[in-house]
Amino acid sequence: MPKAYSVIVILSLFILWEILFHTLNMRWYLLPPPSMILESIQSNFISLMGSLAVTLKVTLTALLASVIISVCLAIIFYFSKFVERSMMPITVILQVTPIIAIAPLISIWVDSSQMATLICAFLVAFFPLLTNTIAGLKSTEKNHLDLMKLYRANKYQLLRYVVLPNALPYFLSGLKISTGLALIGAIVGEFVIGPISGHSGLAYRIIESGYQLEIPKMFASVFLISITGILLYNAVRLLSFMILKNWHSSFSEAE
Amino acid sequence: MSLRVLTDTDRQSKLEKGQSRILAQLDGICKKFAGAQHNALEDIKIEVFQKDFLSIVGPSGCGKTSLLKMMCGLIKPTAGTISWPTSNFQNSPENPANLSYVFQEPNLLPWMNVYENIKLPLKIVKEDTYSADEKIYEIIHLVGLQGFEGYYPRQLSGGMSMRVSIARALVTQPKVLLMDEPFSALDETRRFELSQEILKIKKEKNLTVVYVTHSIYESVYLSDRIYVMQPNPGKVFEEFDFSGIEKNEDYRFAPEFFEQAKIVSDSLQRAQHA
Repeated sequence: MPKAYSVIVILSLFILWEILFHTLNMRWYLLPPPSMILESIQSNFISLMGSLAVTLKVTLTALLASVIISVCLAIIFYFSKFVERSMMPITVILQVTPIIAIAPLISIWVDSSQMATLICAFLVAFFPLLTNTIAGLKSTEKNHLDLMKLYRANKYQLLRYVVLPNALPYFLSGLKISTGLALIGAIVGEFVIGPISGHSGLAYRIIESGYQLEIPKMFASVFLISITGILLYNAVRLLSFMILKNWHSSFSEAE
Repeated sequence: MSLRVLTDTDRQSKLEKGQSRILAQLDGICKKFAGAQHNALEDIKIEVFQKDFLSIVGPSGCGKTSLLKMMCGLIKPTAGTISWPTSNFQNSPENPANLSYVFQEPNLLPWMNVYENIKLPLKIVKEDTYSADEKIYEIIHLVGLQGFEGYYPRQLSGGMSMRVSIARALVTQPKVLLMDEPFSALDETRRFELSQEILKIKKEKNLTVVYVTHSIYESVYLSDRIYVMQPNPGKVFEEFDFSGIEKNEDYRFAPEFFEQAKIVSDSLQRAQHA
């Protein structure tokens, strides 16, 4: 039960934090205790949940966009070496340039702050998915390709029966990375670009509480972001497990 | 003694008597792989008779697998021709349903279960999927895989996987079955079991089998005819005819069997040093 252990460890850290806060007589505006953070979540529940919804919407939309675009690009790259060689450097440039440096530009170019944040999240989430999917497509076994050639399979059949399923484990491990990155991108984007019009996301709640010296609320926002990240990550893990449990060795049951 | 080395006149007279009709003819096949200094195969002349069990025996690296891959179009010869004189368009090897290839490894798709793996060729060649289910269950029965339809390849043993692989090759009801050392990863008992089954299926389905192996016993036990190949470059060294021998279970312990195995073995030895 390793999962239970990790929960126990985290819970004991929180308890230790609470005890240390009281015994060392720490200042709540420097490091509020967990109880205060929870209280803050409770009292600001509606506004925090609203912000969470905004951030989550940006994250998931960006993730969906990067899944669609990266898989399409990976398939095009797989069939055309020429396109791959000419396009890959551009995607690398987008990946290695810090998002925090491009974000202000994006906010100038794009009117809607929601759209601008979405683009930031997309740019960070996109690359691991693309490289992983390409690696997956290319790792198709020669014998499997021969089998398809033997039956004169067309490109669609080749993709559907052999190449795409082969890339699935790679794609899913890319998705695990990208899910976290999309959330980070959504937060960083909002930090730089400013509140998302209509209702601000969690990043702006952090800035706002900082200005207003509502430190527990600031921690509450951070706390919510972490929880969201953990839940998203586990959702992808569950998805991978459901898809791959039957055939992939990474999920073979212990004897 | 029905074993003998075939001469050209033997072959000619056999053909003229109409005992066998040539299904495939490989003539003057050469293969030079990209970047290689020498030919891998040189001036190969092989005839495949209809309903023949033909074995190609030779040391590793003499190009047996390449030959087989050429017959099904996976690789192209550098020179020479492969012709199928009796086939019209419907049963030409260009129609992939007529020619099946069993790989050295089971080569199953791990993301499909046994049933889906066997069904795959039917889905690709789009043979009327109307009667697909019936065909698949008939084949599953034939290779003794009942009850395992829902299993995934990693849940199967080596022998089981090979059975699935053979079932997949048979599902399109091919006329020719090409097999590349299909049992090399199996233990002796399994090998014999599966060999028996191949013989049974061959008879039942009127198949022509071209079988590549380095096992002398397997080739002698299974084949009507054997081509012994020599390496560097790969050439046909000798050709044997075993047709007309009754092959029951006792045959593999009969003195004639060992005599014949010895003759092929000697031939193979000479081929190695030719």
